[in-house]
This record gives sequence, C-alpha cells and structure tokens, in this order.
Amino acid sequence: MGGYGEVHYTNPTGPGTPPVASLARFVVYLAHSFDDRLALRSELEVEDAKVEGGAAGGEVSLEQAYLDYRLAERLTLRTGLVLPPIGIINETHEPPSFNGVERPGFDHDVIPTTWRELGVGVVGTVPGKVGLAYRVYLVNGIRAEGFSGDQGIRGGRQEGQDASFANPSFTGRLEWAQPGWKVGASFWYGGTADTNSAVGRGAFAAPVTLLSADARYERGPLALRGVVANVSVSDAQAINAAYGQSVGSRIAGGYLEAAYKLLQTLSAFARHERYDTQADVPVGVTRDRSLARRITTLGVTYKPTWNTAFKGDYQLVRNAAGAGEHQVLSLGVGYQF
Amino acid sequence: MQQPAHPAAPPAKVAASIARLFGPGARVDTVSVDTTDVLRVSRADSLLGFAAVGNVLGKDQPITFLVAIDPADRLMDVDILVYREPYGGEVAYEPWRRQFRGKTAADSVRVGKEIRSISGATISVHAVTLGVKRLLAVLTAWHRSGAIR
Repeated sequence: MGGYGEVHYTNPTGPGTPPVASLARFVVYLAHSFDDRLALRSELEVEDAKVEGGAAGGEVSLEQAYLDYRLAERLTLRTGLVLPPIGIINETHEPPSFNGVERPGFDHDVIPTTWRELGVGVVGTVPGKVGLAYRVYLVNGIRAEGFSGDQGIRGGRQEGQDASFANPSFTGRLEWAQPGWKVGASFWYGGTADTNSAVGRGAFAAPVTLLSADARYERGPLALRGVVANVSVSDAQAINAAYGQSVGSRIAGGYLEAAYKLLQTLSAFARHERYDTQADVPVGVTRDRSLARRITTLGVTYKPTWNTAFKGDYQLVRNAAGAGEHQVLSLGVGYQF
Repeated sequence: MQQPAHPAAPPAKVAASIARLFGPGARVDTVSVDTTDVLRVSRADSLLGFAAVGNVLGKDQPITFLVAIDPADRLMDVDILVYREPYGGEVAYEPWRRQFRGKTAADSVRVGKEIRSISGATISVHAVTLGVKRLLAVLTAWHRSGAIR
C-alpha cells in the first residue's frame, strides 16, 4: 500500500480570475502479490477532493489497475488498465518527481496525462543489452468524437469506462538508462473512428500516429529534461465535419527544463514549453494562433525528504496571437510513499 | 495473504552470484550470526570474502539483493537477486551497481552524491542504496568483532 497526493494554490492575473486552492489529487496505491510471479497493482484517485451528484468538478477514478505476470526475469505479461508509456510524466507522475505545481501544459494538451487505457502487453529488458528496456501494449483506441482544437486528442481517451474496442491501438516505448541518464522513444498508433462511418470504416480508420522522444540527465546539482512529441491526425477534416470541431491535423511541441540544486533540499528551475494543437490544420479550419502556446515557468522546489515536495512557481502564459496572455502564481505541496 | 517481508533468495541465484564474484568452485560455508546467514567464501586455506542476502522494501515489494565483501571489508559488488516491482528495475543494471564497488563502511554512500540516481527508478535507487549501506556496515562490524572470520 502506498499513495501520493498534491494540493495546489493558483493565482492567475486578469479580471474575474480569483485565486483557487484545491486538493488536486489524492491517490491510494494498492498492490497485492498472489505469488512470486503474479501481482495486482492499482491506483485509485480522488481529484479535487470530492464528487457530488449533479455538481460539476471532482472525479473518482482508477488511474491504473493491472495484473503483472512475471514469465521470466526479463519478461512480464501485463493486462488491465495500463498507462501508455509515452513521455516522462504519464508513467511517472508522483508530485515529488517533477518540478512545478501543475504538470507541464504540454503534458495536458499534447500528451494527455494521466492517460490510461485497457489492454494487454509485455514489459521487459533487452537481453544482452544492459540498460535497454521496452514496453509494448495492445489497447483500446481513442475516439475522435472527443477531439478538440485546443486540447487535441485529450477528450478522446476512454480511461477504462465501457471502452469501445472498435479501434485496437498499439503503444510502446524503448528506453535506455544509465546512472544519471535516461532517454526514451515512444509511439501510439491506432484508428479513432469508433463506429462512426462518416469518419471512416475499418479498425484503423482515421488513424492517429503519435511519436515522442524524451531525455533526462542528472549530474551533481544539475538536472535537465526535455520531451518532444508529434501527433498526426490523418483524417482531421472528416473528424471536424462529423463533430463540428476544429481539430488540427498535426499537434506538436515540447519543452526543456533545467533545474539546479542550490542546497541538498532546495532546487530552482526554469522550463520553457512551446506547443501548438493546430500545428497544421486541415481544409476548412482557420488556424487559431492563440493555440500556439509558449509557457515559461520559473520556480523552486523544496524537498525536505526525497518523497515530499513544497513547490512555488511563476508562469508566463503566452501565445503566438498575443491573446489572453497572463501570469500565474502557484504554490503547492506533494508527497508520495 | 501478504508476501513475507523477507523472502528467501532462490538458492540457484545465490550460487550463480557467488560463482560470478569469487570464481567457480570456491568453498562456501554458512555462518549464522543473529538471524542472518553469512556466506563465508574460501579457496584452499585462503579467505576470499563474505556475502549476505538482504531485503529492502521498494515501492511495495521487497527487493532481494546480495552484498559481497573482500577480506579487507571492501564491497566487491551488489547483485539484485529478485526484483518484483513494475518500474525501477534499472537498479539491476551493471553500470548502476558498479558505483558501489570498493566502498567501505566508513565511506559516504549517498544518492545524488557518490551514487548517481536513475530517473524513473528513484524509489528503488534510494531503497537499494540504503539496504546495501546497512548490510555493508553489519558485515564489516561482524568481521571486525570476530563474529565471522
């Protein structure tokens, strides 16, 4: 049994935007080993402290719940509600593991964390190649019905709720780790039409292809990390026609972050994100340049222990259209155990 | 039913680890100190070193590892015998374990200083580092006190 949680206080500038405090996440991690080979792992999450019938906000959900069957030392079979192994934050999202009160905007609008889907796959290390590991899953697809211009494919996630398996999808990752280093490459490929023949027919109709690369480096007091991703929405025009949206045909971007340990327990960081959920648009959509976002975050993280974090940061939220630009001051605490 | 906090190590894995570290065909005697089995490894009449198996809690599963020291109480190597967690298995990678070689109980062994961490394996890195440090200290103390000789 374990868990993690985070409390946020955010104060954006601009009229009609009062500061908000929220118990953003409270997560209970439960695991059980049936024997030395078979184990259940699960995370049950309450978002924004409570859920009330009929009221907006709040969410109770399973973030992950899967069975691991260790076939061999280097090979595990995994089935259930799994996390697509894409980027850095989706699989490793405990608050002390990242800088900044909120997860990067990129990890909301481009890689839609916490992304989880139902499926089956294998997890292992490459024999004879020390440091090389992989994870590959066959999962339910995402649904084009939920796509949007400003949040890309985020609304298309099914998250294990009566998930349609009309579009089986593949996702996976290859990563290489050394002390101080980790680099990875991830993908997602699958159709999104579900049962809407106006969007497309067949298991791989209206496919989405996501490719991503990430790197983390730590040396002495310095920690660097970066992620890039490119999402191609092949039939964005048909999707927009069917659902009246303005989904981009390409969603792309990334971020770079540098952190420096001022003391053993205190680090300062700077992160710059650039991403556009309409990097390319299909016929019929006029590019909204305010979706080309540039977010700069400056902040500090105080970690009295390695698994607790007190965070403060200041964000400059900008976009290529110069519309609705603002600043956000955030404070937060997070823990894991 | 919970798994025991200190599961026994598979004997074949321990034997393979000892053979890798001390060479094949070494003589292994088991000496019990308190409740810990210490493996005394020798060849002909000369002592090659000692080894012991330890367990440390990762995120929620015990990580079973082996620590071996030479007759001068220097750490020879760490072996991860059984890893049960879904993430963090990078602690078994040789380039990470190598960082412990040559350490003594008097040396400082800290994550982020002498021991470089691995991103995404933070819990296991901290757990194994702590476990190795404790086992190294215990083996060294027993050797110096003559509890193992």
